[in-house]
Amino acid sequence: MTTTNIRPSKFLARDNVYLPHIAVIENIIEETPGIRTFHFNFKDRKLQKEFSFESGQFGEYSIFGIGEAPFCISSSPTRRHHLEFTAQRVGRVTNALHRLGVGAEIGFRGPYGNSFPLDFLKGKNLVFVGGGIGLAPLRSLIWNVIDNRDKYKNIALVYGARTPNDLCFKYDLDAWGKDKTIKSVTTVDKGDKSWTGRVGVVPKILEEVAPSPKNAVAIVCGPPIMIRFTFPVLEKLGFTPEQMLTTLEKRMKCGIGKCGRCNIGNIYVCRDGPVFSYQQIKSFVSSEY
Amino acid sequence: MANKKISKKDIGKLLNQWGQQFAVFTPSREDGVAKMARWEGKDTGFLGWYWNTVVPPKANFLPPMEEMFRFQKDKEGYRIELPPDGGRQLIFGIRPCDARAMKIIDANFKELYQDPYYLNKRKSALLVGLGCTNPGESCFCTSMGVSPAESSDVDLMLTDIGDELLIEPVSAAGKELITKSRGLKAANKTDEAKAKEVKKASYNKVSRKLNTEGIADRLLASFDDQDFWEKVAAKCISCGICTLLCPTCYCFDINDELTRQQGTRFRSWDSCGFPVYTKMPMENPRAEKWKRVRQKVCHKYEFYPMSLDVIACTGCGRCIRLCPVNWDITQVLNSVPAKTKVGK
Repeated sequence: MTTTNIRPSKFLARDNVYLPHIAVIENIIEETPGIRTFHFNFKDRKLQKEFSFESGQFGEYSIFGIGEAPFCISSSPTRRHHLEFTAQRVGRVTNALHRLGVGAEIGFRGPYGNSFPLDFLKGKNLVFVGGGIGLAPLRSLIWNVIDNRDKYKNIALVYGARTPNDLCFKYDLDAWGKDKTIKSVTTVDKGDKSWTGRVGVVPKILEEVAPSPKNAVAIVCGPPIMIRFTFPVLEKLGFTPEQMLTTLEKRMKCGIGKCGRCNIGNIYVCRDGPVFSYQQIKSFVSSEY
Repeated sequence: MANKKISKKDIGKLLNQWGQQFAVFTPSREDGVAKMARWEGKDTGFLGWYWNTVVPPKANFLPPMEEMFRFQKDKEGYRIELPPDGGRQLIFGIRPCDARAMKIIDANFKELYQDPYYLNKRKSALLVGLGCTNPGESCFCTSMGVSPAESSDVDLMLTDIGDELLIEPVSAAGKELITKSRGLKAANKTDEAKAKEVKKASYNKVSRKLNTEGIADRLLASFDDQDFWEKVAAKCISCGICTLLCPTCYCFDINDELTRQQGTRFRSWDSCGFPVYTKMPMENPRAEKWKRVRQKVCHKYEFYPMSLDVIACTGCGRCIRLCPVNWDITQVLNSVPAKTKVGK
């Protein structure tokens, strides 16, 4: 088992797991025309101070009157000035979310789910593979690793989006590009006039970059189609299923393994995930991931 | 403690007594649909027609729609308020299959996180079971380890012995209740012998059988047998009734409702039979009907026992008798191949 054990959140509002904490949006960053990163802090200062989470964990965010939706915490636990999450405008809740401004109040329950297994990653070469908004859970881990740089070996990142306009976290990509201890490659499926970087889908560029599987772990987050094409490339490069981690996305409501909808086989993605090794995924009785 | 008995015609008096301490629910018909409804103080003769409810008593603990909290915004920001506590319930006449179902889904609501809405109601409630004397054609409780007229999952167990009901205490809370109840008579040996006969006869009347041996293994082996599942799902119309009215189905949805002044977050029954259940903005892992039918069957007989050590079915038969297209779970499970097709 390479992913960490699950344990219940300690931060329940009034001992009721379904009650959200009130949080305030402090900053909004327009990543792409449809994707925004929200910086927030809890209204309760004591909670803000005591709250803790791990990279890979997620929360259930309330837009009061509209509903709840799950998003991973996209900031790093090593940087606790505020918390961040990133959401694409695709459904009812995210449309309402994108209409909110700085100062608006939202609800938060969590942190839920397991997390990236830091103990397993320590002392290893890390290969991050991301696509589109899939960089959100990865960047929590990447900053976490950078802030504990001596505990990890080489870091490589292959990140891509459909077009240059669809690249998220450009400020992070700039910072990582300047960091000499990180090998960072950014690619787009289709360039434009000003694009001077790589062109090609992530799995193809990953194959060209060809990271060594020796003492390495690949962490893959992105759209399902990218994940499905990336695993075979990694296998070809010599990575074993235990050396590949990913996060799964399912429709969720409760976030705590009770409402039923994220069930695959005997696991609930919200409770037992969202971080899984490819080895675990292969053992699911279902091809529904 | 010795068993008691009560004359059927006195049941109203007893329920009125209990009504002083509990919110009493008894079988009742609303618009022709039998369900557990609040006892209004007058005996409507339900013992005469009651067979089993259409809406399972899980509705008393996981209501079809339930307020979780309300919220209001003022100049200080959002305020969250919890709904008032509904008080202690006493469910009169629950069948052994449905009482077992409550025990089965308790596990889900206790696991990892305590579900306060369900568990608060459940912990404070008393279940008064009433044994079946006439199990139906669709019932297969005996295959699922449930006896139609006996139960260890209730607080008191009642058996119809003719003009009277024999009352047996099962739990400590049940014993306490009958100690405090007025108007009960002591049961004698003849009453008990009669009850024993009724139980035995009832057990033998359950004719439908389901072979549960190795069922999880057979399902696991057949999981990827698309032909099999497509055949099984062919006539299903995805109406969701077999899940919504299943006493062990607990899936729910969470939504908000907003008026000008106030909003409510509520949960409501949901079903893995509906395509929207798993639908995400970009894709749906169970858009196909056969995958949803497979999920329903496998969750009950394979996945639930894998995680919580018990098959999530009590053989109550609702999914068979309430299905508009005569889909039959026992037929499906008895036809799961022992071995999957080679090479598939």
